[in-house]
Amino acid sequence: MNALEIRGLTKKFGDFVAVDNMNLNVREGEIFGFLGANGAGKSTTINMISSLLRTTKGEIDLLGKNIAKNIKFAKMNIGIVPQDLAIYENMNAYENVSFFAGLYGLRGALLKERTEEALDFVGLGDKQKSFPKNFSGGMKRRLNIACAIAHRPKLIIMDEPTVGIDPQSRNYILQSVKKLNQMGSTIIYTSHYMEEVEEICTRIAIVDHGKIIAEGTKEQLKTIITDTKEIWVGVKAEGELPLDSLKQIQGVTSVRFEEGVIKIHSKTEVNNLNRIIQQLIRDQAEIRSVEEQAPNLETVFLTLTGRNLRD
Amino acid sequence: MKDFLWLVRKTMKNTFGRRNSWLLYIGLPLAGVLLSMLFYSNMSSGSLKIGIVNQDGDQAITQDAIQFVGSLNQVKLTMTDEASLNDEITSGKLDSGIVLPKGFADSIREGKPLPVNIVSVKGAQVTAYVKSLLDNYIGNIASIGLGTKGDTQAFDQVYAAYKQPGFAFESETLKDTSNRKDMTYQSIGFLVSFMMFSAVGLTEIILKEKENRTFLRLLSSPISARAYVLSNVAVSFLVLLFQSFMTLVFMKYVFHIDSGIPFGEMYAVLALFSLAAISLALLIVSLAKNTNAAGALQNLIITPSCLLAGCFFPISIMPDTVKKISNFMPQHWLLDTIDKLQNGTAFGSLGINFFILLAFAAVFALIAIFRFSRNNDVRQFI
Repeated sequence: MNALEIRGLTKKFGDFVAVDNMNLNVREGEIFGFLGANGAGKSTTINMISSLLRTTKGEIDLLGKNIAKNIKFAKMNIGIVPQDLAIYENMNAYENVSFFAGLYGLRGALLKERTEEALDFVGLGDKQKSFPKNFSGGMKRRLNIACAIAHRPKLIIMDEPTVGIDPQSRNYILQSVKKLNQMGSTIIYTSHYMEEVEEICTRIAIVDHGKIIAEGTKEQLKTIITDTKEIWVGVKAEGELPLDSLKQIQGVTSVRFEEGVIKIHSKTEVNNLNRIIQQLIRDQAEIRSVEEQAPNLETVFLTLTGRNLRD
Repeated sequence: MKDFLWLVRKTMKNTFGRRNSWLLYIGLPLAGVLLSMLFYSNMSSGSLKIGIVNQDGDQAITQDAIQFVGSLNQVKLTMTDEASLNDEITSGKLDSGIVLPKGFADSIREGKPLPVNIVSVKGAQVTAYVKSLLDNYIGNIASIGLGTKGDTQAFDQVYAAYKQPGFAFESETLKDTSNRKDMTYQSIGFLVSFMMFSAVGLTEIILKEKENRTFLRLLSSPISARAYVLSNVAVSFLVLLFQSFMTLVFMKYVFHIDSGIPFGEMYAVLALFSLAAISLALLIVSLAKNTNAAGALQNLIITPSCLLAGCFFPISIMPDTVKKISNFMPQHWLLDTIDKLQNGTAFGSLGINFFILLAFAAVFALIAIFRFSRNNDVRQFI
């Protein structure tokens, strides 16, 4: 059964079409990656799924029920972890979770039990009386998650839940997402970190200009890309790097420099590795390593949208 | 309903969990009442210090006139001379001076009294009371002079009879309630402005929730935007009711300001005004994009309208144009209602005032609802 079914979804703001006749199915029990650059239409889609925005056209079904006709049912069964922290600084961790859980009708002993359960789940069980102002970025993110899951929603929408946090907290959150999934929740996960999506998502959709342009498992998506390869050249990063001269080489479609590595996308059919190395030597770059990468999601995304995920 | 109460409870807890809120919502109105009390207690009239310059010697009529002035209520008499009079008036030792000219007694006997010069730097506020009574006194005796036509013996007889009235005269001093009325008016004026600022402060929570991203998180729960805004209105109403109640209790039982209006009637009028204040606050919040803008709008709307409506100064001293403008402000209609109640108008006869206050509340609320419904901005959330 589909946890979420979107048919012909369209949202217009005046003449601007933010979401354009989108069709999407998220199966029950999936961790579904929803990828798109800024302005691609994924936030608008999420807002419509969570009933915060009215659709211009189209239907959204949650667990087989149309959400426009069953708003309360939809809201009771969705938990949203927004990208920006949505917690009260003047309430302690317990009060925050308890308040949001209370909005879903939980009261008394059940409310207490679910609040403690959610806090324990995100590893803040011993910080119940602490206020968010005393929390690290990672702890605030975890509290943000606890507020969304205490009412045990069937579908959890996580929008960039790991932005700006330390690797340890990020790892904790990723493990928590997997655990929530194992416990029966369907999860829609958006992130700018492609490696996170690769690690946890069972299926992925790439959205661009309000449309789903690719959908499938990561393996299926990677097979879409047969005409692009990625070459990584490790260099000693001193002075200005000759990125522009590399872009002039036949077959090269994009070049970027990240953490001591020049990442070059090039057409598969053009054998240009020698020319790339020669150009780097000519530009007096100190080459430390050269390797050709197997196609990854980042390459897929770049090839399909012409943009980096973080653009 | 349970969700609504859940939200009300949370907002009340958040609001009154902070000590500053108590100071803001309860302390400041009481400080306003105290300020008004101090202001009006300084204005309470003491004795009128009058200096007499007698240039007419020991004439019986002149001495009687001096005695008459001295016998007036709230008058403290000092004999002085012409040279010192001006200095004593300008230095504030005297409020005014009366110069009884030479030949004063004789002129009265003849029925043609010489003019009495009354000197003051404080104007009619100080001289009018004494002047009118003294003129009346002199006029009466001069009438005897006119009637006796220069017959000294006849004058003395009639004058002696005039001084010995054949009836007993008792005087009772009535309590001057004008000060009490002014003090109530001003205290309520201050309370009104604090109520309006409080209403905006509480309604602004909606904007704060938007800025903190919690607003749309709330809306993604089964709580509707309508229920959320209603819960905020309920909290504002409860706080304003509590604020008015505490202020009235303190006015009556601690500061002993008797407004002359039954507690229940005064409280009902303030409760009605609370609705108008909350609706205006909703309108301000619906027009503002953030708390800074709301703060600016609040200063732009509330302070000037309170000034024009007479919350800080009595409307009676304002020019006619301002009086006309004040008709468009709910504060004016509250103060007008209180003024009428103090002047003895029955509570049940003030339907038009209550209707106007309700109309203000309805109009502001409707515009705010329209503005809220047009706001489709969820970009701040996800």
